[in-house]
Amino acid sequence: MNRREFLKITAMAGAGVMLPYELQTLAAAIPPDMVIAHGALPQKVTQTAIEAMGGMKRFINKGDIVVVKPNIGWDRTPEYAANTNPVVVATLVRLCLEAGAKKVKVFDNPVNDARRCYVQSGIADAARRAGAEVSFTDERRFKDVAINGQALKTWPLYTDILEADKIINVPIAKTHGLTKLTLGFKNWMGVMGGRRGRIHFSIDEKLVDVARVIKPTLTVLDAVHILTAGGPQGGDVRDVKTLGIVAASIDPVAVDAFGATLFGLTGGDIGYVKLGHEAGLGTMDFQKLKIKKITI
Amino acid sequence: MRAARFFDSILKLKTSNLKLSFLRKASQAFFLLLFLFLFIQTQSKGFDTLGYPVRVFLDFDPLILATTFLAGHAVPKAMLLALATIVLTVLLGRVFCGWICPLGTLHNLVGAVPVRRKAVSAGLYRLKYYLLIVILAGSLFGLEVSGIFDPISIVIRSLTLSLYPLFNRVLMAVLAGADAVGGAGFTAGVYENLRGGVLAFNPPYYLQSAFIGLIFLAILLANLIQKRFWCRYFCPLGALLGILSRFSILGIKVSEGCTACGACAAHCQADAITDGGQGRKSSECLICFDCDDPCPSSAVGYGRLSRRAPLNLSRRGVVTSLASGVLLAPFLRLSPPVSNPLLIRPPGALPEPEFLKHCVKCGECMKVCLTGGLQPTLLEAGLEGVWTPRLVPRIGYCEYNCTLCGQVCPTGAIKRLTRAEKVEVVIGLATIDKSRCLPHSHARACIACQEVCPTSPKAVWLEEAAVKNHDGATVRLNQPHIDLQRCIGCGICEKVCPVSDRPAIYVTSLGESRSPDNQL
Repeated sequence: MNRREFLKITAMAGAGVMLPYELQTLAAAIPPDMVIAHGALPQKVTQTAIEAMGGMKRFINKGDIVVVKPNIGWDRTPEYAANTNPVVVATLVRLCLEAGAKKVKVFDNPVNDARRCYVQSGIADAARRAGAEVSFTDERRFKDVAINGQALKTWPLYTDILEADKIINVPIAKTHGLTKLTLGFKNWMGVMGGRRGRIHFSIDEKLVDVARVIKPTLTVLDAVHILTAGGPQGGDVRDVKTLGIVAASIDPVAVDAFGATLFGLTGGDIGYVKLGHEAGLGTMDFQKLKIKKITI
Repeated sequence: MRAARFFDSILKLKTSNLKLSFLRKASQAFFLLLFLFLFIQTQSKGFDTLGYPVRVFLDFDPLILATTFLAGHAVPKAMLLALATIVLTVLLGRVFCGWICPLGTLHNLVGAVPVRRKAVSAGLYRLKYYLLIVILAGSLFGLEVSGIFDPISIVIRSLTLSLYPLFNRVLMAVLAGADAVGGAGFTAGVYENLRGGVLAFNPPYYLQSAFIGLIFLAILLANLIQKRFWCRYFCPLGALLGILSRFSILGIKVSEGCTACGACAAHCQADAITDGGQGRKSSECLICFDCDDPCPSSAVGYGRLSRRAPLNLSRRGVVTSLASGVLLAPFLRLSPPVSNPLLIRPPGALPEPEFLKHCVKCGECMKVCLTGGLQPTLLEAGLEGVWTPRLVPRIGYCEYNCTLCGQVCPTGAIKRLTRAEKVEVVIGLATIDKSRCLPHSHARACIACQEVCPTSPKAVWLEEAAVKNHDGATVRLNQPHIDLQRCIGCGICEKVCPVSDRPAIYVTSLGESRSPDNQL
């Protein structure tokens, strides 16, 4: 064999030995579509979930104006699991700011009195301490948006969510008398103005219509404590189950489908999850995605 | 004796170097601003308590103390502060009227408008004493009407129901105008800072708003007829303090240097000057010191009073007032004793007869109500109960965890409750009008009522049903029902019902826990 051939064979042999190792690292470098983190401390669980998704820098660029949209809908203190866990919200706010976000806005359009909801949920205080700009929704900043969906033609939506660079949806998992469960899709009711009682007819179609217009960068499902009965208002701590789970995903349909399993249901059982899947907003067969499960 | 003379000399203030009328104006400004500050603070910031003593002006009001005691037979401890006002008046004269009362300050502001003022009948000052007698006599028989005429109550009620909403509307329009010029969101920062403070958190709307505003405007505009028109001729609190000041230890007095030129009389706000300038009627004098400046002999001072001008009420007037007060109570209660379904009282309200004996119609509860649901009655509680609070769920429901109305009520007409007590109080019951309800009659899924019901377990329970829609297809949906044992009548269901003009679920007063009769 001449020198050229020897070098060629050695190179190929070396590559052959290295290749599976390279592929593995390469595979590990592709971030997952969903992370399901489980542990005792909500701050650690949330942080771990985001880190496993590739870190907040995967989603937030320097100078971004981010909206972190929790559920602050109800006048309930955190142990009733009617609103998003304030620690989860604060952790997300902090991570966004550390990733270089210029501003992180936190708001919701609640059902009960907004002043009480913001204070009693603990979210306003926790988010503010983490550096967020917490504000009440201003009635004048709802603008009619042409939705042109299946059931909704137009609806007033909050301008801050339409103008944000990045949106992080952070709902809490609860039961609901009409939709069976309230997860990520239902959380968009908090950016809707107008008389929301009218949404209750063909609610699944209407939620999917709104979801077509709002594209979250990331959905983080708070399942640290879930409300298993009496939702969405809650009011009995005996209906609260502690799971210690935070699930993060780039696929809003998938994370809601996963959320359904926490209540013994599947994505197909939830009207808007099925419709969202059919509309192409994501997949309810979340097991087919690249999922990472972590227990702390 | 030496102590008395020492006391005397300190108080015989020579008014040439010390502008007492200026001090008085400064005091009036301070108390008006304090009053407005406390008024603004009478709103929720999201916490369980307010953190500010917003009702303190009412707590110091001796007229409210007197009628609450006579009609209700019990007074909240805080109201004993009113004894301080009585002591102050017995010592110093009607300084409350001249230096403290916020309505008095507003009178002064309007009264400063330079117009030719007509003379008013010299005896009209007696009217306020007759009115006071009517009010006190009536309260002996359980009638509580002092709040309609009490100046503190009038200002709080008028500001709450009319002026503050007007102010909000105007300011919001100004901001909208600025937005139109400067671009959308131009005033967002300003609005966010003012909102929940100077600007109401939610735009306030009240029934009878214009009517109450007009009454208040009339009271203020009367100052164009005579300065301090209300104070001189109508104010029952002024009358009460006037009776006390008849015997006040100190007051405005005129020294021997007075030449009876009468220059002071033209400036007197209260028409209290007698004997060509040499005398003062201590029951009418507001201690404003406006008589001081124009006096060419600097004869006006402040010190121990010796001469007492009589009140001069006619015996006929007194007897008529007494009789009117006594008869007024039964006269106003002639209506049939059937409960009004629209009369949903705030949680913590006393049973209706006691409630009417305590409520002074001050409007504090309506101001503080988170959702704006507490509204003034017109005739729903009878004539006796005009302007008392009732819940109108279509305007605002009763927030489950909130206890603010009981915290601000000065007389205990609405008891102060803990949250645990409050959520057990039933103020009414919800009823479903099936013919209007979407899932019951129109094959449309809804249950917004069940979703928002705050009790645990929910007072709205769902029954799965199969109904036919207009295409003849079968639709499976949930239909709501009320659990009468669990419903507390908060009205959030009525508020969110999408059949918004005449809600398919609505609350009436039936079942209110404070009433032994109004039960199923």
